[in-house]
Amino acid sequence: MEKKNLSDKFKRKDWYQLDLSAIVYPTLQRRDFSSVYRLSVVLKEEIQPEVLQKALDRTLPRFPTYKVAMRKGLFWRYLEPNNRPGPFVQRDVKNPCQPMYFKANNRYLIRVYYFRNRIALEAHHSLGDGTGGMYLLLTMTAVYLRLLGHTEIENSGFVMDIEEEPAEGELEDAYKRYANAKVRPPRLQEKAYRVRGTAEPFYTLNIIDGIMSVKEVMQVAKGYGATVTEYLNAVLLYALLEKQKDERERKLRPVKIAMPVNLRRFFPSITLRNFITMIYPGVDPRLGEYTFGEIVTQVHNYMRYYINEKQLRGDITTNAATQSNPVIRVVPLFIKDFVVKTFYSRVQDRNSSAGLTNMGALQVPESMKKYIDRADIYMGQPFSRRTNCAIISFEDTMTVNFASSIVEADVERYFFRKLVRDGIHVKIESNRGEEE
Amino acid sequence: MSYCVNCGVELDASAGSCPLCNTPVINPAELEKMMKANSPFPGRKGEVERVKRKDLGVLFSVVMLSIALTCGILNLLVFNGAPWSLAVIGVCAVLWVLMIPAVIFTRQSVYLYTFLDGTVIAAYLYLLTFLTSGDAWFLGLGLPIMVLLVVVLELFILCVRRLPRSFLTVSLYLCTAAGLLCMGLEILIDRYCGGHIALSWSAVVLTVCAVFNVSIITLLSKRRLRNAVRRRLHF
Repeated sequence: MEKKNLSDKFKRKDWYQLDLSAIVYPTLQRRDFSSVYRLSVVLKEEIQPEVLQKALDRTLPRFPTYKVAMRKGLFWRYLEPNNRPGPFVQRDVKNPCQPMYFKANNRYLIRVYYFRNRIALEAHHSLGDGTGGMYLLLTMTAVYLRLLGHTEIENSGFVMDIEEEPAEGELEDAYKRYANAKVRPPRLQEKAYRVRGTAEPFYTLNIIDGIMSVKEVMQVAKGYGATVTEYLNAVLLYALLEKQKDERERKLRPVKIAMPVNLRRFFPSITLRNFITMIYPGVDPRLGEYTFGEIVTQVHNYMRYYINEKQLRGDITTNAATQSNPVIRVVPLFIKDFVVKTFYSRVQDRNSSAGLTNMGALQVPESMKKYIDRADIYMGQPFSRRTNCAIISFEDTMTVNFASSIVEADVERYFFRKLVRDGIHVKIESNRGEEE
Repeated sequence: MSYCVNCGVELDASAGSCPLCNTPVINPAELEKMMKANSPFPGRKGEVERVKRKDLGVLFSVVMLSIALTCGILNLLVFNGAPWSLAVIGVCAVLWVLMIPAVIFTRQSVYLYTFLDGTVIAAYLYLLTFLTSGDAWFLGLGLPIMVLLVVVLELFILCVRRLPRSFLTVSLYLCTAAGLLCMGLEILIDRYCGGHIALSWSAVVLTVCAVFNVSIITLLSKRRLRNAVRRRLHF
């Protein structure tokens, strides 16, 4: 038995290449910004930190791509297994998604927090996307609950078996496998409207959570002939249009939303690393005034056109082409960093007015449902002055989480007021304004 | 359970005002209860661990210290004709102080370490007087120049940090600083050489700086002109 374990250990990789989207995130690192996202579940009982630490220690080895440190090579960065002590669970803070320096925190790129009934996981985006992080968080939560004596919880949905060895497919860069279209569709890029706001000081992240009923939202969305994601996208576009109208700029710009699409829905892969691509639904107010119904139709049609296996395959092929270009590959890392950073802040970041992601319904084992109250997801601190919106639902509770680093909450206000006007009951929670 | 009168959203029991529109929540019947409710968010604000380049600092200090020590010993025991090791030890000390903001105290005030850098370089110059015939050059020229340099540098940093900062304004500060520095240099040199104090070469520099400054100020004050230049020079 021991021998087998030993040979298994040898099979474990001693380094991982960054995947296609993970390459970008470390280059954007600043003193006051890291691409960190946050997932949390609210349980029904108060969290016991010692037990949570035990659960984390047992769970993390099952996720080798999350127990890593970021290292620099001459041409690319890479991930190296990290065997230093930690990560340690810590009491939650008011301003989550703080920057994550590669050399701090014993070089771990994840943080685990607890506060009253809530367990939160923060991970650097270069390790994996929200789906991968959710597997880690819920597996850890299941282990935690089992340690408390709820041994009936089985492994299914986002809960993985911590006894089994990680499969090869979980650690792979799935982009490589599917970036094989014969043509590279060009990317359309146009400067979008950008929210003007007053920057908050460093170490501030303003959060506004809206909690509502999935059924109510579904019903309203159906009334407009759209899905929940399409409807909420349209509401955010509407809020941004209103905000642009408010600012009375002489020159109107198109309003676009950057929305990550989970590629696992279209390409069979069990990877726990990044496997998303961005689409940009939007409307152009220069063409005329849009009614809300028209915005919904526009978003609905856009999604129908872009979110399918063929279009997405073309998109990831285009993205992968740059990385595999031999000329680009031999350029030293610091030059790549400079170019990528400039491109991102000059083009990519200006390509959208806000971010929105819908994680969908949380899949947890039937036996675990009774211990969970709700879940939250934050896209993390926005790279520029704007607001990001993330949506997740559990049973009948849908949470819409806004995170921004600006003082103004106009977009959020327009967003939630529109929902209220459409007859949805919204409850608001926020971390603004209260200091201990 | 309270609702915002403006937005119509339900608010958390702990909320004192609506997070969306800042309208205060007041229910006269339940004032006391409202104060007691717990916020769903922690109140403690966190800060991340700072990365200290401790190892690099230790390594650098050890290297500098060992160079200084070995040269000192070499000077004392082997080549003991002149105190030449003072020059080497001085350089080590200067380098060490220059490295402090980058490696050891990364969050130190920029004014303080500019002052420290100036002081250590002045001290090094003073050290060199032991290798030369006298310290007249140091008192007459070296020290005043260092003082001038530090003052101009501190003023420049002050302008960059406190006044509006853009490519044009920084060029303006830089030009002014360069002009002042050259003028000061010439006055000090003239004074040291014993001749009467008069501006000659620095007058040329001052003229050039003035021309630059006038054009920059024009550009800064005329938006149309600035846009025209930006249009033609964008990259």
